[in-house]
Amino acid sequence: MRTYKGYIMFLIAFGIIALFIFFPLGIGVKLSFTDKNLLFQTEQFIGLKNYINLMHDRDFWIAFYHSGILVAVVIVLEYIFGILLALVLKQEIKGIHFFRSIVMVTWVIPIVATTIMWQFMSQPHYGFINMVLNAIGLHQFDTYFFGDMRFAFPMVVILHLWRNVPFFGIAFLAAMQGIPSELYEAAKIDGASKWQEFRYITLPGIRYTAAIMITIHVIWTFNNFSMVYLSTGGGPINATDVLPTFLYRKVWSEFFLGYGSSVGVVMLGVLFAFFLLFNKFYAKGMR
Amino acid sequence: MKGYRTKNSFKAYIPLILFFSFFLIPMLWILYASFKTGSSITNLKLFSLEGFTMKNYKEVLGRGDFLLYSFNSLIIALSVTLISLVIGVIGGYSLSRYNIKLKNVWISTIFVAQMFPGVLLIIPLYNLMLNYHMVDSIIGIILAQSTLTLPFSVWLLKGFFDSIPRSLDEAAMLDGCGVLRTIWSIILPVSIPGIAIAAFYSFVVSWGNYLMASVLVQSNSTATLPIALYRLASSLTLQWGNVAAATVLITLPTIVLFAVFQKWLVSGLLGGAVKQ
Repeated sequence: MRTYKGYIMFLIAFGIIALFIFFPLGIGVKLSFTDKNLLFQTEQFIGLKNYINLMHDRDFWIAFYHSGILVAVVIVLEYIFGILLALVLKQEIKGIHFFRSIVMVTWVIPIVATTIMWQFMSQPHYGFINMVLNAIGLHQFDTYFFGDMRFAFPMVVILHLWRNVPFFGIAFLAAMQGIPSELYEAAKIDGASKWQEFRYITLPGIRYTAAIMITIHVIWTFNNFSMVYLSTGGGPINATDVLPTFLYRKVWSEFFLGYGSSVGVVMLGVLFAFFLLFNKFYAKGMR
Repeated sequence: MKGYRTKNSFKAYIPLILFFSFFLIPMLWILYASFKTGSSITNLKLFSLEGFTMKNYKEVLGRGDFLLYSFNSLIIALSVTLISLVIGVIGGYSLSRYNIKLKNVWISTIFVAQMFPGVLLIIPLYNLMLNYHMVDSIIGIILAQSTLTLPFSVWLLKGFFDSIPRSLDEAAMLDGCGVLRTIWSIILPVSIPGIAIAAFYSFVVSWGNYLMASVLVQSNSTATLPIALYRLASSLTLQWGNVAAATVLITLPTIVLFAVFQKWLVSGLLGGAVKQ
């Protein structure tokens, strides 16, 4: 096929991506070496000063720590509950097709709607969760969960699970259905237990899908701003503050564009480092 | 089908019910509240017809600004979808069919673009748009949100086109069709699932996007539904009835689209990745 036409199409598409994503990213990186502030016209090159200040910023490390814990806890739980959900949906029982087809609905609705639904669930006295707690006699826990130091972070985890576990479940289900049934039959003949079947056939069979799902969700969870901002705003105090909400506050409430950009660059660096390691160990494990 | 519902199969439903209670109750609970008067919401009981009303919906829909925000959201989401599809198709097709130099580098680059934190990208985008007077404009919001959907769209459609036999294009070109003509009348009709998922993804991401809009929206005239809903939900005179009705209304279009597209969703979302 005539290649120049291909190049024209490629250049248009890639040029637009470069113009609207890579070019701004470059400016963002450049900003991170300046003291740019929304309130002032001037900006000065200050070298690594933002990064050095960042290393001494206690709030940054708190947000960093929360981001790390959030990603770790959320990904592990999504993986476990995703497998459980896939096993549940795999059963050939009456009506199962209906459940399979509706389960991912939580994934498509706007995050602002998700957070409002769960805030409403968590209202003291008349929220569903508190109604249940009161009904079973646990009156002492009747509180607004997103506003409680003890419960706010677990609630943010639950929001992520609610949204993403169905995606894990459906993806694992598809992977499980792709495992040849002869493998299970052969295992049965060899007298394998249910657990052995699961451990030595099912788990390896979904390994590739799992790697993709984990990759995608580490990015989404680590970069996700709205879920935390819209549900708790990073609070109470800073109990749920993560890197995206920390950055957003620095830039759009305190107007430190340069400083905020340096947080974003660090985030990008962390993600890159994660994937270098993940790819290395994952590729190793596949052999 | 007698004997189907033995004791054993009833047991099989227990974990199913637990999972789906978790997934569905938050949605059903807000739907239920949206039909309740203010005083019966703060005293909400299960399965009670007390205080049933359509007032919340009338109030929300009766506000002129709600229709404006819906219109803004719709225009923006449709534009983001269109841009993502056009760029996705030509980018995906060129990467799938032509021997572009350093092809794998470009494909990885596009994948990496999905990794950039939105909170970082919006800072320079805001700065650039300030220079071109695009802050607080619909077009600015469209461009900013497109950065979230473009790479995925190219990547997904490239994967889809890879699964279509090249002989189809070659036959069309031998018949004298140009490239665009070939894409339009030969490739697109057989890539409906891929196109559908790219479109669905772009629309849903834009429709629900809060971050980009929250920075670029500075007046009521450009506000989108997520912005308006968050304002409504965080106002000091919070009225749960109206918030519940508005939440249902903003969610409804995504659920309707989901019902149409769900059969392609998983293969579409993972398809591009699996074929890498």
